[in-house]
Amino acid sequence: MAGEQVEKRVKYKSSVKDPGTPGFLRIKEGMLLFVPNDPKSDSKLKVQTQNITQKFTKEGSNKPPWLNLTIKQLLGRSHIFEFENYPDMHACRDFITALGKSDEEPKKAAVLTSTEQLSIKELEIRFKLLRENSELQRLHKQFVESKVLTEDEFWATRKKLLGKDSIRKSKQQLGLKSMMVSGIKPSTDGRTNRVTFNLTPEIIFQIFAEKPAVRQAFINYVPSKMTEKDFWTKYFRAEYLYSTKNTAVAAAEAAEDEELAVFLKPDEILARETRQKIRRVDPTLDMEADEGDDYSHLMDHGIQRDGTMDVVEPQNDQFKRSLLQDLNRHAAVVLEGRSIDVDSEDTRIVAEALTRVKQVSKGDGETTKDANQERLERMSRVAGMEDLQAPQNFPLAPLSIKDPRDYFESQQGNVVNVPGVAKGLKRNVHEAYGLLKESIVEIRATGLSDPLIKPEVSFEVFSSLTRTISTAKNIIGKNPRECFLDRLPKSTKDEVLHHWTSIQELPRHFWSSYPITTPYLHTKVGKLKDAMSNTYSKLDAMKESVQSDLRHQVSLLVRPMQQALDAAFQHYEADLQRRTAKSSGGERPNGYV
Amino acid sequence: MIFKIEDVTVYFPYDNIYPEQYEYMVELKRTLDAKGHCLLEMPTGTGKTIALLSLITSYRLSRPDSPIKLVYCTRTVHEMEKTLAELKVLHDYQVLHLGTQAKILAIGLSSRKNLCVNTKVLAAENRDSVDAACRKRTASWVRALSTENPNIELCDYFENYEKAAENALLPPGVYTLEDLRAFGKNRGWCPYFLARHMVQFANVIVYSYQYLLDPKVAGIISKELQKESVVVFDEAHNIDNVCIEALSVSVRRVTLEGANRNLNKIREEIDRSKATDAGRLRAEYNRLVEGLALRGDLSGGDQWLANPALPHDILKEAVPGNIRRAEHFVHVLRRLLQYLGVRLDTENVEKESPVSFVSSLNSQAGIEQKTLKFCYDRLQSLMLTLEITDTDEFLPIQTVCDFATLVGTYARGFSIIIEPYDERMPHIPDPILQLSCHDASLAIKPVFDRFQSVVITSGTLSPIDLYPRLLSFTPVVSRSFKMSMTRDCICPMVLTRGSDQLPVSTKFDMRSDPGVVRNYGKLLVEMVSIVPDGVVCFFVSYSYMDGIIATWNETGILKEIMQQKLVFIETQDVVETTLALDNYRRACDCGRGAVFFSVARGKVAEGIDFDRHYGRLVVMYGVPFQYTLSKILLARLEYLRDTFQIKEGDFLTFDALRQAAQCVGRVIRSKADYGMMIFADKRYSRHDKRSKLPGWILSHLRDAHLNLSTDMAIHIAREFLRKMAQPYDKTGTMGRKTLLTQEDLEKMAETGVQDMAY
Repeated sequence: MAGEQVEKRVKYKSSVKDPGTPGFLRIKEGMLLFVPNDPKSDSKLKVQTQNITQKFTKEGSNKPPWLNLTIKQLLGRSHIFEFENYPDMHACRDFITALGKSDEEPKKAAVLTSTEQLSIKELEIRFKLLRENSELQRLHKQFVESKVLTEDEFWATRKKLLGKDSIRKSKQQLGLKSMMVSGIKPSTDGRTNRVTFNLTPEIIFQIFAEKPAVRQAFINYVPSKMTEKDFWTKYFRAEYLYSTKNTAVAAAEAAEDEELAVFLKPDEILARETRQKIRRVDPTLDMEADEGDDYSHLMDHGIQRDGTMDVVEPQNDQFKRSLLQDLNRHAAVVLEGRSIDVDSEDTRIVAEALTRVKQVSKGDGETTKDANQERLERMSRVAGMEDLQAPQNFPLAPLSIKDPRDYFESQQGNVVNVPGVAKGLKRNVHEAYGLLKESIVEIRATGLSDPLIKPEVSFEVFSSLTRTISTAKNIIGKNPRECFLDRLPKSTKDEVLHHWTSIQELPRHFWSSYPITTPYLHTKVGKLKDAMSNTYSKLDAMKESVQSDLRHQVSLLVRPMQQALDAAFQHYEADLQRRTAKSSGGERPNGYV
Repeated sequence: MIFKIEDVTVYFPYDNIYPEQYEYMVELKRTLDAKGHCLLEMPTGTGKTIALLSLITSYRLSRPDSPIKLVYCTRTVHEMEKTLAELKVLHDYQVLHLGTQAKILAIGLSSRKNLCVNTKVLAAENRDSVDAACRKRTASWVRALSTENPNIELCDYFENYEKAAENALLPPGVYTLEDLRAFGKNRGWCPYFLARHMVQFANVIVYSYQYLLDPKVAGIISKELQKESVVVFDEAHNIDNVCIEALSVSVRRVTLEGANRNLNKIREEIDRSKATDAGRLRAEYNRLVEGLALRGDLSGGDQWLANPALPHDILKEAVPGNIRRAEHFVHVLRRLLQYLGVRLDTENVEKESPVSFVSSLNSQAGIEQKTLKFCYDRLQSLMLTLEITDTDEFLPIQTVCDFATLVGTYARGFSIIIEPYDERMPHIPDPILQLSCHDASLAIKPVFDRFQSVVITSGTLSPIDLYPRLLSFTPVVSRSFKMSMTRDCICPMVLTRGSDQLPVSTKFDMRSDPGVVRNYGKLLVEMVSIVPDGVVCFFVSYSYMDGIIATWNETGILKEIMQQKLVFIETQDVVETTLALDNYRRACDCGRGAVFFSVARGKVAEGIDFDRHYGRLVVMYGVPFQYTLSKILLARLEYLRDTFQIKEGDFLTFDALRQAAQCVGRVIRSKADYGMMIFADKRYSRHDKRSKLPGWILSHLRDAHLNLSTDMAIHIAREFLRKMAQPYDKTGTMGRKTLLTQEDLEKMAETGVQDMAY
């Protein structure tokens, strides 16, 4: 819902008798905005949409479509909007109603366990996932059935798994493939003259996007005039005529069949779009403007047949369309990307959505001022010569490292190699010693003013790093589980792995519930903490139980897990102390542990 | 940075300067001092334009007593915009350092179509209809009529501009076309007429070649330019072609039919005019007796294309008696059309000199040479008298008169060629009578004569001694600059074989060989998978490109290319090509990467830059020779051989290679940029072809890269791209400075320039 908005042409009236100011009504989440057409008019309006009650005139009554919004905060002052037609008004009304609901939603969500709201479809997906993934099932059993986590909490962290539904909600839209689909080849059965085309929604989408005339024809003809199947049959008939390059036949067939002619004629919608786009093109590319200055090729001037420009068969034949044009058009569409957010199997919906998007972008085309400004800025930016200028400082994006282990290993390699080489090449032992002495003298003179890290800490870090990493590297190798875990007895191995997954699960929920703002979260954290301390003790027990020769390795494995838990406990304690100090131990029972 | 070149303080808007830019300025300054012409070749990507602009504007500032005017000619409108954008940067810098005294007025000038802001006029489809729609609203008699009849539509912008009269001036500044339009809209003045008016006051004018070279336009736009002007022809490698095109005309059947219709219309107008306002025709007659210097009498908006034949004496001479009366003139034209119609009805190709054509015209149609010479001006005068506004309707008759005037004026340097059909499509009868100019010096002569300094510059002017001969002038400075490289940022390669070791070429007998087509395709498939961002391919002709892309599409090669990059193609429709280019750039910007297919000698190759990530690789498929069987080309070659002793083969190779160099030369913009060039044809490995490439490409063409197969080229490309990704020292290493600072220049000024970078 966020980011959505509705915009309609309305007349705003402050009272019933007011003749009204024409303008636009725009409703967004949390905001209602009226912009009058006349910029000088003072009836601009900006209202919060919370607590709106609305009244409206009924369709069919002979009143104009009015929507009367009363805002409680403003002592019940009401605003009347007259819409151009009823559908517009209904759209706005529904939107405001929806807004009202979404305002209330968070409160509900806190109270309800939303199992009953789940559709059957979603439940099915969940069951399927659990069936397929035994590890997940085990986790689910352990935490959900023992009431440490609720069903929703458990799934909330696994939205990705829930599939299609959540993908659509994700912000990133899928791009289009670079490949042409319009060249789809029919399949034949080899015996008869019948050919079969397989159309997928993606192909249909591309055809509609690349050929607005086909899209428009689809909206016009299907299903009122012909069935969808007939439509596509005609379309491919036309494509076939193109491919034969026999313009005479094409012309003859087009003359007989006016629906077929639609596909064969040059695309007018496209031509219109082109005319619009050419005005917004970067002036440093605009070759069309050159035509205006080209006086030497004024009709029959200049040199016609000297062989510099070769002659291609006249292009203006209306039943001829070149592959080159198709390629350009296709690439342009791919570049635009999937502009609609409709994932429907219904061809008509796709067609209509595309048409809408085009109309909106046409509307944008009228406000070219920004585009012009941007164009000019870009031009002046590009005009400069980059290496003659002082370097510009571009903001740097932080480096994100997906697998820290890889990164660390590569870094370690560098650290080991580089100084060694450098030393070996450039400095002998005496020099190195001298340097060290110097720095000691320096420290003595100035003193270590403020050590950033406590020596014990740094020592601990240093030793653990060297030990764990070198041993892990030498003994465990790159993939610890493969070689080392295999040496453990199977039960222990499983146990380790299971603990590992649950430790991945629990702290995630734990950390995500901070800061604790509601009593609900408070209880949740309590439950999680219990579960974690449970796991902690199990880990300890496991460590004790393994054979002595493996104990060290196991403790190495377990240590990061325990550290993660320790950090969680520490945070919990600290938070608890802060809370009790703040609320002076009043409202919540102390000693929850 | 601010530095001195001899006595001139140069204001250069960057912190650093390339040594070759500095040298370029030094040479340019000497030319200006000597008040002569010069010829300067400097590789693309070394900042020619800014060096030029900065030196000339600084030169102007240093000589406040005799300010020079800069007339900067570009090939295309988009280059004009780029130049003005650079000038803006420079102007801002100069004003910052010198204050208001450095302020200049710089304008770009283009046709009505690109400058008009009247939405109704703009709705017209092409340039000629825009011109006509404008005249319909701005011609003096239309405006006079409208005082009586309020229903006649005028252009508010023009009216406002006329009302403002002398006060309609542009404040100093740099105006791109967009700026002019914005200014015009804001003030309510017509930007087109304002710009034309400002031509005489502006310090810098940037416009198209044709405004100076094409007599049809030059007579109107450029007649008021002062002698103390510096004329710069940028990207002038094709200037000889522009010159001969400006003076070439052809006549087809449709032209004759249209001209006949025009004459009927004119006839009607004459009759009507006689009935209503006989005085007007009589006044014209009297004027013609006195001579053709009539243009001065007419107000600004009414002029159109002036005499295509330049001689000024024509204006002082009296018009021959037999065409002074309007009816007689129409009769003469009718006879001319008839004669041309007969000549077009030929079965064979005919070639004739203007002299013999004129004499046979005289004997068969009774039209004298002197009469022919005056045709164009007589027609203009008549059309003004008859108050014809829809000039675009009258293009055919104007073409015919243009032809007549040219044929009557020049006896040498032209030939007339009549062809019954196009050589390459013999099945389609399309007779054409062509008056083709061979002598490039004719059109440019007045420019050399009239202006103090003419600078001809480009990235490819090799061999540099050929241009003075073609254009017949003596330059005071003629130099070719090398590029000092910080690193090997260009990587030219000659690919002679495909991965199957079979030779590749676009030679006529090989070009349609499926093996060659496949090898060319495979080369691109491999390249698009390793080269980032933009790749540009040039083909030798549209038809070849058409064919090869169709084959690639059928064999699935195109599909493989499209898996890596989006594909955009230049077509013969300019609008579509422009949009394709725009999309291509966007695809490169967003990281998707794209391939652009284009044609050597096409519009894209002429003026679009593929710098930085817009072009990391250029593939030149084949050698872009002209179609050697063309009759016009043969005639021109013959002329060149007879006049300048230039061998046909040499000229063809020179022409092909300058086109190829032009195509590949667009990949780099500065020394920080980098790009690869692949010449994919076995003929490039031959010395006689290769040696015609400009020096800055040749110096990077290693011997090991002269005879490559596809897989070797891939390997080299990989290595090159890896090398280019390494950090480097921008200022140059080991004593070879490739980027100079202020101090470097000061030091150099003390020790002398000679011991510099190269």
